[in-house]
Amino acid sequence: MDRLYAFMAHQAAVGHLPHALGYAFVVRGLLAVAVLAPVLGGMSHLVVARRLAFFSAALGQAALTGLTIGLWLGEPLDAPYGGVFGFCLLSAFAMVYVRRHSGLSPDTLVGVFLSFTLGLGLCLLVAVTKRFNIHQVQAVMFGSLLTVTDTDLALLALLGGGVLAALGVLYNRIALDSLDPSLARAAGVRSAALEYVFVALLTAAIAVSLKIIGALLVEALVVVPAAAARNLAHTARGVLAWSVLLAFVAGALGILVSSWLPVPSGGAVVLGLGVVFALSLGAGRMLGWD
Amino acid sequence: MKACRTIAAGLALRSRNLAQRARQRAIVRQMSSGPVLALRDVTVRRRGVAVLRDVSLEVAPGTLHALVGPNGSGKSTLFGVVLGAVDFTGSAELRVASGARAVGYVPQALGDVEKLPLTVAELLALQRQRWPVCLGVRASTRSQVARALERVGLAGFGGRRIDRLSGGERQRVLWANAIDPAPALLLLDEPMTALDAASRARLEALIQEVRAAGAAVLMASHDAEQVARLADSVTRLGPSLAGPASEVA
Repeated sequence: MDRLYAFMAHQAAVGHLPHALGYAFVVRGLLAVAVLAPVLGGMSHLVVARRLAFFSAALGQAALTGLTIGLWLGEPLDAPYGGVFGFCLLSAFAMVYVRRHSGLSPDTLVGVFLSFTLGLGLCLLVAVTKRFNIHQVQAVMFGSLLTVTDTDLALLALLGGGVLAALGVLYNRIALDSLDPSLARAAGVRSAALEYVFVALLTAAIAVSLKIIGALLVEALVVVPAAAARNLAHTARGVLAWSVLLAFVAGALGILVSSWLPVPSGGAVVLGLGVVFALSLGAGRMLGWD
Repeated sequence: MKACRTIAAGLALRSRNLAQRARQRAIVRQMSSGPVLALRDVTVRRRGVAVLRDVSLEVAPGTLHALVGPNGSGKSTLFGVVLGAVDFTGSAELRVASGARAVGYVPQALGDVEKLPLTVAELLALQRQRWPVCLGVRASTRSQVARALERVGLAGFGGRRIDRLSGGERQRVLWANAIDPAPALLLLDEPMTALDAASRARLEALIQEVRAAGAAVLMASHDAEQVARLADSVTRLGPSLAGPASEVA
């Protein structure tokens, strides 16, 4: 990786590349976005189809709580994956289980879990900030390019590849179950098992995105790309392609902006997504595809 | 004493649930002989109220069994039992030949088509190829889809958006999905409510084709004439709180 960073720095120094790409942390951020875009873009397409946008927001809040639990239990601040993944997975499975076994509507149930996990996270945050500088914790909550390491990139590529492979195998079953669960059952799909697997994949995708996007903003990348893509495409293939492309464009824009301006990368990426969504709305109307 | 009775009742309920789960796990068996579908004393309760009570029926290969009854009598719930979507007591057994497609299902209407933008070909490809449909529909799948659509009078509809189809066209797409390839059991839940006379005639002919190929058909319908024309046997379901279902033919 060092040779790549040195090569990019040289190209930036001689003026062949933008000045920002001369910094290793910016290159690392762009590489992370290049891996995240197909993972979260592909995931977002199914998150929107399964009406899990609010669920994803609750998982983002759970990531904050998981982060504080991990730090509280002694995880290093630069690699809080155990706490985040463990608590998010626990929350996701609990939400799915209670929804399947109670008469409550999904949004009510998610609202209850979201409130609980946020309350728990805030209480634990007080304990954690006695041991860490609040600015260090903020970097994980809102995303920071400076905290991304080569090890994070390797983990991202490994887990992201795994999530993509699993999605590839399960895509047709998940899509059919999202559209009409009774048709999926007739086709032999085990709906309950599929739902648990899907939320586990979503949790993994959220956990590995944490360093770049931040715990509180990560749900934007699993909802907005597909929402914008729906304005531009009318086939499953088109929505997937646009979701991945828009996730990459917004992510890369956010990374570059956060390297020029003193703003967190997560916030810049989410602002980029907002711009992309607004543009897609206008483009969709012009194309008459709404 | 009261506490003891409550515990005993709880244990009895637990025991019944375990037995029920064991039966549900064994719902699909390899075909030997006899009926494709056999339901015995199926009862469904929701919040303590019986939605279905003691329904027993059998559907043999090549026959059509009709479910009739007023709205709310539990016809769709019974389809949920067969599909494994509804908890029940009693037993439900589906026997299919090894490697054969088990169930084709035509619901009253397709689910929320706004959730996922799909073309007709993409929808049908979801059950016909392993390659993710979001990466494209394979050429071999396209020919299968074209053949299925032609059988229901929708030739050339593969590229159309599902959400832009009329109710009747969507219902015919569901038919195409259910009958090709031929299933061992075809479930039809009021499958012609949105169709014109010509389409009904075409699909009734398709039912006869599927039966001739050896499929068992379970159909819910409000159309008494159609039931008289097509059914080999009929189960009449009463209003939810009425007595057990009766087999009338």
